[in-house]
Formats: sequence, structure tokens, C-alpha cells
Amino acid sequence: MSTTLGIVDTKKIIAAINDMYGVDYSNYTLTTLRRRFLYVMGCLNILSADILVEQIHRNNIDFDDFVDKLMIDTTELFRDPSLWREVREKLLPEICSSPGSKIWMSGVSSGEELYSLMVVLHEMGLQKDVRVVASCPSNIRIDRIKKGGIFPMKRMELGEANYTRFSGKFEFTKYYTVSDNFAYMDTSLIENVEFNNFNISQDKSDKSYRMIFCRNLMIQYNMPLYERVLQNLMDNLTVGAYLILGNKETINHSEVSKRLYTFDSIEKIYRKRS
Amino acid sequence: MSNYKAIMIGGSAGSFQVVTKIVASLPKDYPLPVMLCLHRLKHVRSGFVEALSIKSQMPIIEPDDKDPIKSGRIYLAPANYHMYVELGNKFALSTEDVVNHSRPAIDLSFFTAAYNYKNKLVGIILSGANKDGALGLKSVKDAGGLTIVQDPNECQVPTMTLASMNATNVDHVFSTQKIINFLLNLA
Repeated sequence: MSTTLGIVDTKKIIAAINDMYGVDYSNYTLTTLRRRFLYVMGCLNILSADILVEQIHRNNIDFDDFVDKLMIDTTELFRDPSLWREVREKLLPEICSSPGSKIWMSGVSSGEELYSLMVVLHEMGLQKDVRVVASCPSNIRIDRIKKGGIFPMKRMELGEANYTRFSGKFEFTKYYTVSDNFAYMDTSLIENVEFNNFNISQDKSDKSYRMIFCRNLMIQYNMPLYERVLQNLMDNLTVGAYLILGNKETINHSEVSKRLYTFDSIEKIYRKRS
Repeated sequence: MSNYKAIMIGGSAGSFQVVTKIVASLPKDYPLPVMLCLHRLKHVRSGFVEALSIKSQMPIIEPDDKDPIKSGRIYLAPANYHMYVELGNKFALSTEDVVNHSRPAIDLSFFTAAYNYKNKLVGIILSGANKDGALGLKSVKDAGGLTIVQDPNECQVPTMTLASMNATNVDHVFSTQKIINFLLNLA
């Protein structure tokens, strides 16, 4: 497999996808996108950008499968345990004090973030007191998450270590079963979750969320898309609501930084100003 | 004034003391950005910058995503992210899968820096126990950049430098002191 893909080739692939499927990747971080295209080409045994472009134009690509492979799903269960401790100890008690509060997991990929949140809510006995909405652009992925995520055991070991650092209430093994070396999370955790294909970069808002998780999603976007997504996220937050980014992301490069204040600078938790 | 625009250093087992010596030797107003991609525990986010900063005159920063790359600063790849150089001299962080069992992976930082800086990059590989960084250093060489490895005889663990020397025809094999002298001469 080739280890590099030039800018020209990358742009050809972006144009072909937009032509055929109406999906625009031109605002993705080029460096990351180049690597993702190479990865997908490897999976599909496609040896060059020209062949990929031709296959796309002939509609020889299963686009759902392509999107699924293109997505970065290497988060972890309870990635950044200290963030989850803070969510448990400070954020959720406040949010759940008013009934019917809504929490949004935007840009779900593997479901590990979603299952982490649902485990926290379960352990706090709050599973039924909040409405959790999860958005994921890939139906293949939503189906997989609804079947329990289906995680390789190596990833579960990592999740278990994180859960221990998070100081969860139980043994982590309580939350999953193993079959053929894959872990299936307990799907009763997510039975009240509302799934949709809402795309944060395009769609309108409903201004009603008390907390939005958007961790390590915008690192895949270039500046204009990052700005647009942050504006959309702002429109979806109620006053005083929490926005949680990845721990090496920042709002400082955006106009919206004026409309939020920092609640925790290490965990990258922000709150919307009044 | 040198022709180079950036320095990238990769290291793993046995490189901490070498890196500490290097950063301690660079003056506060060093005119180039210095990027460090060092293997580190994925779940330990704090402490590393603090330890390196003790003797450094230059500020050492773990960049946030999309931060611009500026001269006179030392950047350390943060825990559990790959650190890419995006066109336009910005950082792009990534949570893509581990490469060579590592995140951050040295190869990926070097690939992206070589692509961005071409022949204006100095790539340096230090002591380490696996081959991560070898293909990265090759990409620096192939893009016309300058390549240096720490003298394997001096390395606590020479696997990484030897793998790099196998992967490409490196320009210099230097002791720590010679690496420092070289970097100071670029100023």
C-alpha cells in the first residue's frame, strides 16, 4: 500500500464523492483525510487514487460501507476518566435536578462515548430522568451500536482500565457479554436513547440541550467547518448549558469563544453565557 | 540565518534525559519551532511538560488542535493523540488508531511535517526500543529535509536509531552534544 496521497489526488477523490453521493468532504482536515482515504483504499484493495475515483464514478463503491470505514472510531470507553468523574460529580447532578433535561451526543462514531455516558447515568440512577439524543451519520454504525457496539476485546481491556480509574460502582464486566472474542455492551443501557442522522455541520438547531458532548470530532475539520459547527452547537445550547470538547481541543480559534466561558480548562468544559 | 523552518525530534525509551539536555541548551529566543514526538503513556496526561520545562528556557507547550506553529516554542505531542502538521503551519491532532503500538506515533508526526516543510525540516531520531520513527525519518530525507540520528553507541536503547539508519541514508550520526551544537548553529 502506498503511504502517501498527494493533495491533487485527495481533491479528486473529494470531488468524485461529492459528484456521485452529494457528500462534501472538502472542509475536512486534509492531513487526516488523506490518511483516511489511504486506509479505506487499503481495506478495499484499491491501489491508486485514480482507480478509486473511477470506481466511485461507476458507482462500484458501497457508499455506506465507505463512510463507515472513513470514520475515525478509535475513541475509548471512558476516555479521559477524570472528565467522566467530573461529569458524574458536578455536571449531571445539576442538569438532572430539572426533569426532562436533554443531553446530546453529537458525532457518535463507535458508540464508546455514548455507552460511557449511559453507564454513568445508570450508576447514578438517572437513566430515565434525562433524554439522551445520539447523532451518527452512518446507519451501519447506529445498527452496530444498537447491537451492543461489538468491540474487540483489546478495546474492552482499555475501557476496563479507564473505568477503574473513573472509580465506577461495579465490576466493568457486568456491562458486557463476550461472544467470539467480541464484547457486546448491555443494550438495556441505551434503550431510551434517541438516535438520528443529524449532521451538525448542516442542520438547524432546537436550542434545547443542557449538555452537548462533541469530543474529538472537530479535530477532523478545517477552520471554516470548525467555525460553522461551533456556531451550530451554540444554537443548540440553552443558557448556562455545558459544551464538552476533547481535552486537546479549544474554542479559542472561534468567534463563539466570546459567548462561552471556561468551566474547566483541563477537561475542556465550557458553559454558554447568558 | 539558516534555511530550515522547523525541527522535529522523535524519541522513546532512553530519550528523556537526551531531550532534557537538548531543551535546556536552547536559548529563550531560539528562532525555530521545535516539535517533540516522544512515546508516552496514553492515560497519563500531565507531568511530562512540567518535567521537561524545569530546565528549559523556551516555553514548552502541548498544542491544542488547530494551534498555529510558532518559532521560539517547543511543542510536545500530547498524550493519546497523534500530532500532525497541517498545511499552513498548524497542528492537527488525531485520535486515529495507534501506529507502531503508539499514539502519538513518531512516524505520523514526521510524515506530515515532511510533507508540509519539505526540504526546510530537520528530523532527529533519538534513543528508543522500537522502529517507530524510521519510516518517518525516511520521509524527511525523501522530501529533501535534513536527517540526524543519535549515535547508537550512545543510546540507552539503539533499536530506533538503527532502524532509522536502515530505512534511509541519514545525513548525520551525532552524539547528544553534537546534536546540541548543530541546533545552536542554526540560530
